Amino acid sequence: MVWQPVLATAFALALCGSAAAAELHEAPSLAALVTKGSLPPVARRVPTAPDVVKPTASVGRYGGVLRTAFRGDADQNAILRIVGNQGLTRWTPDYENVVPNVAESWTRSDDASEYTFKLRPGMKWSDGQPFTADDITFFVNDLLPDPQFFSSPPAQYVINGKAMRAEKIDDTTVKLIFAGPYLGFPRVLATPLGQHPVLYEKHYCEQFMPKYNPNIAALLKQSGQPDWPTLFRQKCGDIEIPSRWSNLDRPTLDPWIISTPYSGNATQVVLQRNPYFWETDTAGNQLPYIDTVNMKVISDVQSIVLAAIGGQLDLQVRHINTIGNKPVLAQHADQGGYVLETLTPTDANAEALFLNQTDKNPKLRQLLTNHDFREALSLGVDRDEINDIVFLGQTKPWQVGPLPADRFYNKELATQYTTRNVDAANKLLDGLGLTKHDGDGFREYQDGSKVFLTADVMVLDPASIDTIQLIKKHWADIGIDVGINTEERSLFYNRGQNNDYDIDVMPVPGGLDPTSDPRGWLSTHTLDSRQSLPWVAWYQSGGHSGERPSDNMVQRLALWDQWKQATTPDQADGLFRQILQLAAASFDVIGTEQGLTTFGIHSKKLMNVPNSMPSSWNYANPGPTLLQQYYFAP
Amino acid sequence: MGRFIARRLAGMVPFIFLVSITVFVLIKLPPGDFVSNYAASLAASGETVDDSMLAEMRHRYGLDQSWPVQYWHWISGVAQGDFGYSFKWQQPVSSLIGERMGLTLVLSFATLLFTWAIAFPIGVYSAVRRYTWGDYFVTLLGFLGLAIPGFLLALALMYAGITWFHQDVGGLFSPPYVDTPWTLARVGDLAAHLWVPMIILGTSGAASLIRIMRANLIDQLHQPYVETARAKGLSETTLLLRYPIRVALNPFVSTLGWVLPHLVSGSVIISIVLNLPTAGPLLLQALLSQDQYLAGAFLLLLCSLTVLGTLVSDILLALLDPRIRFQ
Repeated sequence: MVWQPVLATAFALALCGSAAAAELHEAPSLAALVTKGSLPPVARRVPTAPDVVKPTASVGRYGGVLRTAFRGDADQNAILRIVGNQGLTRWTPDYENVVPNVAESWTRSDDASEYTFKLRPGMKWSDGQPFTADDITFFVNDLLPDPQFFSSPPAQYVINGKAMRAEKIDDTTVKLIFAGPYLGFPRVLATPLGQHPVLYEKHYCEQFMPKYNPNIAALLKQSGQPDWPTLFRQKCGDIEIPSRWSNLDRPTLDPWIISTPYSGNATQVVLQRNPYFWETDTAGNQLPYIDTVNMKVISDVQSIVLAAIGGQLDLQVRHINTIGNKPVLAQHADQGGYVLETLTPTDANAEALFLNQTDKNPKLRQLLTNHDFREALSLGVDRDEINDIVFLGQTKPWQVGPLPADRFYNKELATQYTTRNVDAANKLLDGLGLTKHDGDGFREYQDGSKVFLTADVMVLDPASIDTIQLIKKHWADIGIDVGINTEERSLFYNRGQNNDYDIDVMPVPGGLDPTSDPRGWLSTHTLDSRQSLPWVAWYQSGGHSGERPSDNMVQRLALWDQWKQATTPDQADGLFRQILQLAAASFDVIGTEQGLTTFGIHSKKLMNVPNSMPSSWNYANPGPTLLQQYYFAP
Repeated sequence: MGRFIARRLAGMVPFIFLVSITVFVLIKLPPGDFVSNYAASLAASGETVDDSMLAEMRHRYGLDQSWPVQYWHWISGVAQGDFGYSFKWQQPVSSLIGERMGLTLVLSFATLLFTWAIAFPIGVYSAVRRYTWGDYFVTLLGFLGLAIPGFLLALALMYAGITWFHQDVGGLFSPPYVDTPWTLARVGDLAAHLWVPMIILGTSGAASLIRIMRANLIDQLHQPYVETARAKGLSETTLLLRYPIRVALNPFVSTLGWVLPHLVSGSVIISIVLNLPTAGPLLLQALLSQDQYLAGAFLLLLCSLTVLGTLVSDILLALLDPRIRFQ
């Protein structure tokens, strides 16, 4: 048995011990309910050894309403980010390690294929029902393998083609078993997509499953839902669907629970404190400090900016953080009573050019699959100008590579071919036989037809449009003409799926924690590994469909399969470094700039907000900075 | 008259049936469907879903069936008062559109009244006092109203409201009244918020009506019948109100039918900027995400209301102007 985060666990346990001995405190509103007799006393609501959170700066006080805004449309994950994804594990606030969260501790078997989780005795769901190993086995053994619920189990729970299994040891101990080594599992559990095992309360949700409720037909008829999985998801939610936030009766482990639901009609979503929340601060105060979260639906980004200026928002990290909004928000900070916090980038590139290596045009495909051609295109880009004009000089030239702060930082991968060199680029292009020029100075193939590339960009990402427009100008100097196709998001994805593009311009994640989203170096992402989507199909189908990738990519994918089987962190890291080195040699994707440091705002009165936080989906900020320990100064 | 109305009402049924087909085809026309849009929206925010889940969703929502089957499924439900199911919100459509359609109607009606209240006196004034400084001034105002895009006016008003008056002008309710049941106080709160969108939405409409009123009235003012009436000794006010204005009034009434589609489609951006809980923003979202039954229900309702509005304006026109016959 290996103790995973030995220090962190020991530290947490030590703190738990001291807190259990200390007296527990609760919010005045809850104390009143206890006096009235409608709520059990706090000591019986929190686990015998609650999770003790060390506040960012100071122990807080109870009360207040946290006001924030989100866009009504497809923005349900904004709620997830505020309440936090309460998984078995969570990220440390600096996004480097994972520590126990819902679980009290865990151990890993020597071959990394079995994890034993210790739960917190006495822990409760928001409806007061005990949280036990049965809730985890309910998801893992009943829902996960059910072909009606998941036609195939989500990839994060599948190793060697087999979904994980759970074994209940006692009420507070559960073993999760995989068909092979899975070193990355604790980190996956800290991401939003890893919350499934502790998302569903068996006591409440089992009534929507035929296995436990023989009378499900009556429920279906009454609700008008077509089948039980739909009914189940409407009542108990799923990670990323709106209905997760629309059922007032759904028990959760979150610090706040929904009181005004999210729906198409909603003009606001309101959440109230969970009286059974299982965390305390170091002084024994049950968290959260803040009573109520009020999320206003504002569909227009400029209107959110105006609301911030008007002092109507206490915390806002989404939507307003484009660089163009920074001056106006900084200028009105006094009036709005807020300060700016830094959101550190986690992207591997701010705007990268994915060249389609399985282009439908055979002449272009020959060029796009050629290393020299890609190198020439990269040398032709003036990254300093892009930095100055598009990013107001706030970033620096970069290829698609992990950031210097990450342990996988690879200097060659990140910085090769970033200095503009028109002569060298022209020489490379001449060497490819593109020596003919048309009347405007653009290069032609030997048969006299023009070399013309089309770049697809999304309307909703203005930086990508500005970037490609500058690149169009830069590439004219090396005789390459590019057309710009600005389109709606859904069309962009449609053309991607149909393999109808030459170049796609978009940000690439993976600057920090690159193994969790390696789409820029490995063709593994179904929608966005746009080096070639047929390559992705080839990899996912085991070579049965799609197209065979380049030899270099095939080698990388083989290493990736080995990485998944690694049993020690050192072995795994070594394999991933080889993948990045191969990616550097192949140079598939052209990067422009490092991800941009952006900003969010929070009220001057809101305490314990860190001065900076990573901005990412896997670290679904601001959640992992633990909003339950934010509080309002008097 | 009775026969006219009955005939028109009977004619509306096949017309709305044709509209429903058009609406459905238009919604289905863009490439992709709700599920591919859903996947795209998640992917664009850096989030992932797998293929099998998408196929499963498509099957669950019946999107893997052919268009005619989907259409039939939808329209047969609509005929029985069931507008179908919103994929995105996992809710019956009727529960989503109720309050929004209601507020849209209230806002449209208020805007219409505002437009008339402004356009009528100004139009008459600038026609009667043609080529005076007063006429030039209101004409200038009218053209400004026509030229300034509504959303810009909305943003400027909001900025002014927040920086100078420290007051939020967005939305239709103040925070204590959001999501509360309807009370007299809530109606009062609505009325207090309604004037901002009413002015912004009404400005361009009023400007064009002023011009129409002015032009029509100028045409009438020099007709022989006006001279006759004047020769008979009628006072100027009585004369104006009794004859030329009645004739010039036709455009006011005939615009009644279009005001709803104009307000809903023309006000989407303004509604989004001002954060109004009206039909426009939800319709736009539904169209963008191809949430077909939600979008379909909105469009169908709007078309039906437009058809009804046209009927009402036709009846009013006939009452107002005896020259119009029910032929």
